[in-house]
Amino acid sequence: MGRTSIKNKLILSYLGLLLGVVVVVGVVNRMTNDFFLAQAISTALALFIAIVFGSIFSRSFVKRLKSLSDVAREVSRGDFSRDIPLVSRDEVRDLEEVFAMMVNQLMGMVSDMKVVSLQIQENNKGLNEVVKKVLSNSHDIDRSTKSIASSSQEQTVILQKTSLRLDNGLKEMDEMVRQSADTVSKINEARHKTEMGEINARETLNHLEEVLKQMVEYTQPIYRLANKVDKIKMVIQVIDEIAQKTDLLSLNASIEATRAGEQGKGFALVANEIRSMAENSKHSSQKIEKIVVGILEDNREVLESLSKSQEGINKGRQIINGIVDTFGEMLFGVKEISNEVREMEQVTSKQVGEISGLLTHFQELSGLAHDNFLATKKTSVATKDQKEDMKKLVDNMRSLNMLSAKMIKTQQHFRLRDK
Amino acid sequence: MEFLCFQAAGQYLGIEARYVHRVVDDGEITPVPLQSSCYMGLMYSRGDLFDVIHVGDLLGQQQAVQNENPRIILLKWAGKKLALVPDKIIGMISIKKYDKTQSVYHYADYTIQVIMPDDILKKVSEIFNGS
Repeated sequence: MGRTSIKNKLILSYLGLLLGVVVVVGVVNRMTNDFFLAQAISTALALFIAIVFGSIFSRSFVKRLKSLSDVAREVSRGDFSRDIPLVSRDEVRDLEEVFAMMVNQLMGMVSDMKVVSLQIQENNKGLNEVVKKVLSNSHDIDRSTKSIASSSQEQTVILQKTSLRLDNGLKEMDEMVRQSADTVSKINEARHKTEMGEINARETLNHLEEVLKQMVEYTQPIYRLANKVDKIKMVIQVIDEIAQKTDLLSLNASIEATRAGEQGKGFALVANEIRSMAENSKHSSQKIEKIVVGILEDNREVLESLSKSQEGINKGRQIINGIVDTFGEMLFGVKEISNEVREMEQVTSKQVGEISGLLTHFQELSGLAHDNFLATKKTSVATKDQKEDMKKLVDNMRSLNMLSAKMIKTQQHFRLRDK
Repeated sequence: MEFLCFQAAGQYLGIEARYVHRVVDDGEITPVPLQSSCYMGLMYSRGDLFDVIHVGDLLGQQQAVQNENPRIILLKWAGKKLALVPDKIIGMISIKKYDKTQSVYHYADYTIQVIMPDDILKKVSEIFNGS
């Protein structure tokens, strides 16, 4: 069915009305010859038709408008369930269609609003959980931050203490290095003195060797004297033996002379004299022997003294040799100690350098720990702010939740068509 | 009367010169086993064999003086031979007033007891026989 505008409808209706009036006038005119009557009747009929036509025409419009008005009233009450009847295709239908479209759009908006409210509520729930988790995490972060801050503070304190100890250790090591240098100087002095001592000991040993040599030379005549005295002793022993033999011989001669009687008396006298001489010789040889024994004793004492002196000198030589060896060992030991102390000094210097580096690193580390502490403090403050923001967010969410609830409640006032 | 005077066991003894054959100092004594301690052994001298007696030991000396090369008095009388080892030989002495009944004499600073070789031999025999 094609579209017909109200204007066209009105024109067509008027033309139809005019045609009816013409027909009525024609009929009336045919039925009566009275002109006036015919005019009156025609006018009356024309008016009646016009009234009927106008009434029918206007009613058709008023009815649709009333229907539209009713629907609008229902819509204003939130009832979107009413359908708008679409009858003709004219301007009113346009209005009805626009109104229907508006209602549909409003329905869509309300539905969307409901969906959005539900989604907001759902999102709010999810967001609430997220916020709770964030709050919980913020608490955890806050605790961790506090713990980190405390640890950082302790770390800073420990690092500062360690730095202080390292600094003290460094000072002590510096002192050690200085002492090592002093020790090296003293060791060098000791080495010089040890070398001098070794030289002096060697000189003393040479002097002692010279004295010993001279003593051996001086001892030689004494040894020769002892040999000669020994020979004298041997001679004296021979003399003594001769004296004893002479004594025995004279004794036997006396016995023989006695046995000879008167003739042997002269011989007996001679034998007695010989025996007396032998006795004298024996006494003399005994005296000489005593003297020789005395000389030998003295000589022996001298030799013993010399021997003791020689032993003493030998011992002295051994001692000085020992001293020379000891000085040599001392020198070796002092050199080794000197080398070790130098190595120790180098190692200590190296250690001082390394500890200085370590101290610098520790100081940097202390600075970093302090920065860490400050950053952790800032993080703590930020976490507090975040918590505050989260609380605000929770409040906003609650408000939003309340609004969405209100929206849902409001949306519940609207009655939608069942699809 | 001439006597050979010697010392043994702290005493001075004298033996008549006619019994004395000679005095030696180089005698080699050969020990004889199972004999008394005063019997020192046998000694050979110029064709004669002598019994060697230690006089001090014979007289009861506790610690007999042992000389390394002792002088030995060789006695020969009436076909008997005996060698005496004294502690020390003093020498020949002459006693003017000799009496056979007297056995002890004073000579110079010594008190000398005169002994007879037979008495010595008898004493040695008594010791050997165990009486």
